[in-house]
Amino acid sequence: MLEERDWGRASDLESIDGQAAIAGIGETAYTKASGRTATEIGAEAAERAIADAGLEPSDIDGLTYSGAFADFDVAAFHAHFGTSHEMWSSPWGGGMAWAATAPYLAARAITSGRARHVLNVFPVAWATQRSSMTGGPGETHATQPLKQNLEVPFGWFPQPVYFATIARRHMIEFGTTPEQLGAVALAARRHANLNPAAVMHGRPMTMDDYLSSPVLADPVKLLDCCLISDGGAAYVTTSLERARDLPRPAAVVAGVGEARLTGRNGHWSQQRDFTSTPQVLSAPAAFAMAGVTPADIDVLTVYDPFTIVSLMQIEDMGFCPKGEAGRFVEGDTLFHDAGKLPFNTHGGLLSHAYVLGIAHVVEVVKQLRGSAPAQVPGAEIGVYGGYTGAMASTLVLRKDR
Amino acid sequence: MAIKRADFPLPDVDDERTAPFFAAAARGELAVPRCDTCGSLAWYPMDECDRCDGTSFTWTPVDGHGTLFSWAVVRRPFLPAFAELVPFVTGLVVLDVNPRVRMVSYVVDCEPERLVADQPVEVVFRPLRFPTVPDREVVVPMFSAAPRS
Repeated sequence: MLEERDWGRASDLESIDGQAAIAGIGETAYTKASGRTATEIGAEAAERAIADAGLEPSDIDGLTYSGAFADFDVAAFHAHFGTSHEMWSSPWGGGMAWAATAPYLAARAITSGRARHVLNVFPVAWATQRSSMTGGPGETHATQPLKQNLEVPFGWFPQPVYFATIARRHMIEFGTTPEQLGAVALAARRHANLNPAAVMHGRPMTMDDYLSSPVLADPVKLLDCCLISDGGAAYVTTSLERARDLPRPAAVVAGVGEARLTGRNGHWSQQRDFTSTPQVLSAPAAFAMAGVTPADIDVLTVYDPFTIVSLMQIEDMGFCPKGEAGRFVEGDTLFHDAGKLPFNTHGGLLSHAYVLGIAHVVEVVKQLRGSAPAQVPGAEIGVYGGYTGAMASTLVLRKDR
Repeated sequence: MAIKRADFPLPDVDDERTAPFFAAAARGELAVPRCDTCGSLAWYPMDECDRCDGTSFTWTPVDGHGTLFSWAVVRRPFLPAFAELVPFVTGLVVLDVNPRVRMVSYVVDCEPERLVADQPVEVVFRPLRFPTVPDREVVVPMFSAAPRS
């Protein structure tokens, strides 16, 4: 079943369909520079998720967090809550691609008896930290020796330049137009305007606004790019059985997939299949685990640092044939109430907040609970597509019946 | 984690993984590692060949003709070093000698609006200088959109 390409491969994950569920979600305010630390933000998100699940901090015996940005690990948890109990933990959680795979780790820990209630947390304070970073969020890239010597000196840095180059090649190969990229940005902004928690709430955008926004790295315009934000979110995963005893409706973990680019392909510049993401490999694995097809998906959120990344993932996940996402997203396709594929219904990284995917998962849970600000009528199956460049991941959640 | 090297963003010509690339450029040559086991060109320079399990390589001069795979016209300076250089064109060039070699560099001698996909380009060696790194330059391969041959 697992597909392999000469540029990447999917991980072989055990089926966990129906074993676990997300029982609690928590979010902080999403803002521009707040002056807060990521650790403070993480603690607030954790508090709220635990309370939403109807639990106490002492009930949380598992924690997944980002090892790369370890702002809220076990020590921070105990320091904040004044607890000291044993906790199973993994640094392979948090946001980005890992916001999709953390429920898999949780399900495995729960079924093997290592934990009962697992919290996944991801805070970010990049809006506050930005001025001290080299190239903003590009900093972690600039520190890699091959990029530092073979890309940065040549002006191929940071992310807006990578994705301008990818977007141009997508235009060359498939005829994708600026207006089609704009349709992604407009849908995100439309949803943000229905969501009072979104950073860009109250800031309507037209296609003319999009097309006339400043060009950063042609063909990438300002309004193709994600925000830079402070904020965080968290969710609690437990067994489906336990979730049914807790106050909130369970969002059942139905499928998880992950796939990585291999070898040189891990550098954007060297990815053989330049206009594809590892979703080509991840999404089919997750859909198979959940027993669903793209046509069954009621709501989709994907990690959307740039409009082109949304287009590529939509086609790579199989919602339309490869190369046709531009034509697919035209019109109202992505709208929450009228579209064929309700997409990033909270506003996404483009217009909600740049909290690196954790809010995308929370949004899918809200949609299945029926409590999203831009609610998709009757949403029963929701998907989050995570992306880091070198890795993509897929989480399928299903409303409990 | 901000980058401390004083000559950043010039390349670190002493980094052993890429030093031969810049040494070759200083001689007016475009060099790429060739796998000693299977003989294929292996770009980027990494520990293993992507065609076989080879782990030893010999830097080899190659012909500098290629085609323009894709590019960005950078208008916003993302680093202070680029402030006086924008707008510039940076992109990916696929070498004729082996299409698996895709190089990142500046595309020069062009009007950005007139570049077209897959057009021929040719390597040129030019000094890279940044106003933020006074009195230092490194000769690097760039790609001319007006090939002489």
